[in-house]
Order: sequence, then C-alpha cells, then structure tokens
Amino acid sequence: MVSSEMASSVLPNSLSHTRAGIHISSLDERILKGQTDSKERADRETTQEYFVNMGPQHPSTHGVLRLVLRMDGETVRDVIPVLGYVHRGMEKKAEYVGYRQQVHFTDRLDYLSAVMGNWAMSSAIEKAMKTELNDRIETIRTIVAELTRIQSHQLWWGVLGMDLGAFTPFLYGFRDREKITAIFEETMGGRLTMNYIQPGGLMFDIHPDFVANVKKFISYFKPLIEEYEELFGGNVIVQERLKNVGILDAKSAISLGVTGPILRASGVAHDLRKLEPYGVYAKTKFNVPVGTVGDCWDRYQVRMQEMRESISIIEQLIDNVPEGKHMVMKFGAKIRVPEGVYYSQMETARGIFGIFIASDGSEKPYRMHFRTPNFNNLWAITQMAAGGRVGDLVAILSSIDIVVPDIDR
Amino acid sequence: MGLVTEKLPPMIEAFPGGPAVLTSIDAVINWARSNSLWPLTFGTSCCAIEVMMATGASNHDLARFGAEVARPSPRQADLLVIAGTIVKRMAPRLKTLYEQMAEPKYVIATGACAISGGPFIYESYSTIRGAHEIIPVDVYVPGCPPRPEAFFYGLLTLQKMIREGETIRKPGERRKPVLAALPPGITLEQIRAEMIQTLEQKAVVNLNG
Repeated sequence: MVSSEMASSVLPNSLSHTRAGIHISSLDERILKGQTDSKERADRETTQEYFVNMGPQHPSTHGVLRLVLRMDGETVRDVIPVLGYVHRGMEKKAEYVGYRQQVHFTDRLDYLSAVMGNWAMSSAIEKAMKTELNDRIETIRTIVAELTRIQSHQLWWGVLGMDLGAFTPFLYGFRDREKITAIFEETMGGRLTMNYIQPGGLMFDIHPDFVANVKKFISYFKPLIEEYEELFGGNVIVQERLKNVGILDAKSAISLGVTGPILRASGVAHDLRKLEPYGVYAKTKFNVPVGTVGDCWDRYQVRMQEMRESISIIEQLIDNVPEGKHMVMKFGAKIRVPEGVYYSQMETARGIFGIFIASDGSEKPYRMHFRTPNFNNLWAITQMAAGGRVGDLVAILSSIDIVVPDIDR
Repeated sequence: MGLVTEKLPPMIEAFPGGPAVLTSIDAVINWARSNSLWPLTFGTSCCAIEVMMATGASNHDLARFGAEVARPSPRQADLLVIAGTIVKRMAPRLKTLYEQMAEPKYVIATGACAISGGPFIYESYSTIRGAHEIIPVDVYVPGCPPRPEAFFYGLLTLQKMIREGETIRKPGERRKPVLAALPPGITLEQIRAEMIQTLEQKAVVNLNG
C-alpha cells in the first residue's frame, strides 16, 4: 500500500493537497513547512532494517532451500539459511537397510555426482572388508567419476547463466550433458541415479562402445569449452556480475569447512585426488586450478579449468583400460562389515563427501553419518553475501552450486 | 471466463440447440486449456533435474507441447509438477502453493517419492507417503526419476484428460483419470487396505533398537 507520505511527495503542489475531503498531513509537508523536530528528521534519514523470506519455493534457490535475509534497502546485511524442507532421514534409515541397499541412497544425496557417492560408500565398505580391487575396476571408476564431474559442471554452468538472466548457456550446457548421459545410459542403464559403483566392483562391465563413445565425446567437447569461455566468460555483463562479488578469503573458507571448487577458488590448493589419491589418480598427471581473489569469477574460472583437467585425466586413461573382472565380490551376497569404525572420503564435483560407518558386525550399520560438501559450502554464503546487494545474492548462491537434498540428507 | 463459464451456460441451455452450442464451447475451451499448461517451477529433489530441467532444455524441448512457460509464482501457473520427495516440513508449504494457484489447476506427481514415498516409504520418520495425502493428484508418472519421455507421456495424458474431462455446465468438477486395469477379482479397496496394513506394520521406527 502506498503511504500518504509517498503519494504526496509524488504529486505536484502537495503542500496543501486534499483528496476526498481528507487533508493529507505528511512528513514531507511538515519538513517543507519547517514543522518537524530534530528527532523526526533523524528518523527520516536513518533506514529501517527488514526481513525478506526467500524460498522454500524460489526459482534460484535450486530446490527447497529457504533463506531469511536481513535487508537494509537493497543491501543484504545478513543471510540466515533455514534447512529441513527435504530432510528425508537418510542417516536413520541407513540403520534399517543393509549396506548393499544403502549404496543406492547415496545416489539420491548429491544426485548430480551420483557415481562419486556410490564410490565413497563402496570404498568405505571395501576398506572395512579389506577387499583388493583390480586395475580395471579402479580405472573405469575414475573415468566414470571424471565424466560425472564434467556433467555436473556443465549443469552448474548452464544454471549459472540462467540465474544471471541468460538462457543460452542452459541450452548449451544441457546439450553436452545429454551426450554424457547417453554414454552412461548405454553402460549403466540409468540417466541420473545410476547406482553403478558397487562394493567390490561395478554393477555391469562397460558397454563395448564405451571407449569409442567417450573418445568421440572428448573430441567434440574439447573445442567447445574454449567457445563457451568466449561466449559466456568473455561477456562484459557476466564479468561485471561475477568479478569482485561474494569474496571469501582463504582463512574463513578453511574455518567454515568449505571444500571443493569454492575452497580452491579462495586460493587453497586442497584436492583429495592429489593429497590422498584414490582410484588411479596417482598414475595420472593433472593440475589443481586455484583462484586468487575468491570471488564468483574465480569460482567460475576454477570450474571451467577443472573440466579441462577432467578431460586430460580421461584422455590419459581411456586408451588403455586394463582387462579383468568387473566385480571381485560375490554379487548380491549380503555384506557383513566387521566390527569397528570406518571412514572414507572422496572429492566430488562439489567438495569432500565423506561416509562414516560404525559397525557392530551385523548386516546393518550401527550408525552411519554422511559428511556432505554442500552443507558446509552453503554456510559460506553468510560471509559472501553480507554487505552485498540482493541482486548479487543470486549470483553468489549459483556460484556455490548447491544441491539441497545433499544439505538436508 | 467467469461470464462464459458461470452465467452463460444456463442462459444458452434454455434455447433450442443450446446444448450443442455448449458442447462446442466446451471443446474450444478445453482445447485451449490443454495446450497452454504453464508449469510452476517447483522441484524438491532428483526428479527436478530430469522432469523440470532436462525436459525444458535442448534435447527434449517441452515447448513442443506448449508447456515450457515455467512460472515462478503459483498465481500465474496452472500445472503443479511435484518433482521429488515431500517431507513433513514441506507438506504445509506445498498445500499453500496449491491453494495459491488459480482454477483450473492440475497436478502431476512424478517419481516414486511423490507417488508413494518411494524408497523412503518404510522406516523414515519424515517423509509423506505420496503427494495425494496432501493435494489431489491428476496424473502419476512412475520412475526414480522418470525419463523425460515418461514425463511427456504423463503430460500428454493430462492434456487428453483436460480435453475430454471438463464441461462448463459443471465448472470445477473434473472426471477422474481412468484407473489402470486391475487383475480380475481384485478391487482397489483391497489393495489399499493391504497397503495400509503393511505400512502400519513396517513404518514404525523403533528408536530404542
């Protein structure tokens, strides 16, 4: 509702304006007439803070995340994330289903890097059961994980464009994403939640055309990244919206527990693939891209560079996939993890995904905990967005690349 | 629309040949409604990627069926696609969203979670066992998550329902979708009763171990 003060300030000759017999005595009029006291004038000059609710149904919160914003005009003073709108009780449920069944729930945590969730779960079980894997399993797991990383970053790139108001990146991103999805579908039979990596190996052996198709995809995708870099990153509007927006320094990034591309964009070269190599990452050569400023632009650059590194990892591995069995455990047999406490972590497309299992020696875990990357990464927004404009908040949220079911679990 | 759907029908029906005119108006209105479904941008989990995003993107192109105009505001949308798990905390918000949408409004529940609770049907303390517990659902699309093609089939089914279902003589009254053929001797009530029984037995979370 338009207040009388606002209405009268817009209308001409508002000094003695009357409408429908009611005399509008506004603050503006009294200021002009000199009838105000100093307290009233001070009230007029200071602004009032207010709260805005963003979500849970909002197109740019990527799901059902709710943010409560403490605002001063258009400046964001504080961001308070409110969680639980898709809390499915995954950890409690893990105590009721067996280990083998639990693997497919990790698909549904961070569904954009589903394979890496499977891998983390499988490797925790394998660690506990001291299962030795052959090279074929490890190589295929690594290739598939790197393809997932490209797929996930392509979706992030498209959605970042859409959040900034450009629809073209979304169409381009999904066009390339669908090509990887087709490769996955051929081998795994699923498009999004594949449930491919199993304790003791892989669900199926790779399709005969897998290697050829991956090579075809790489030769198609390699020049496209440069094109996207020019099309999107070379755009002045994109640069203006991303550069020096949402700065997160290395110290607070570490203290918040932020991992993945956001931590690397802040200048910390922390990548589990380098520090604690798993799979066959130790055999491959790749760089860890690092940012300097820690703003949205650095996060964009780091992810674009990561896609190039992923391509180089796949190129090193795809030509000589070793021969061997695709499953070393007895398939479908119930898994009894020996008594003890086990932890396994992976570098997913969003950061460190850790799985903690406390086992009492039975078929079901006594307690299971997921250390999800998005939960910690989301909290970086409290630092990034404070003091910025509300328009930048959407860009910042998009640059964090959150998956809400992974936060709520 | 208020004039056409509420005041006109009783006036026209009195004239000779009036019912035939009304049937033609029905056909035109339903045709228009079925081909301009505006979905609400709403997705809770995995299904949102496949059903809301991949369908709208380049490879599958939802625009072919006139349903690509995704609206962020429920007041401008007339198709609610429930893509993903609905938990107890989200349920009142989903109901609010549905109530904010203007009539005529349609609901498609996609994926196992929105149909029955899916993998979270047992031993979960927080999930709702199917979207129909909160709001009426017109079409169910199975899958975990369903393929974009499956969603298109669901959308085409809904369009067919709209074209055949409604009449301006009884605004707001909608014919229910035809139930899939059940095996002989088994009624829907039997299945429902059995389902409730199993749910009550297995859905108890024993916190004491």
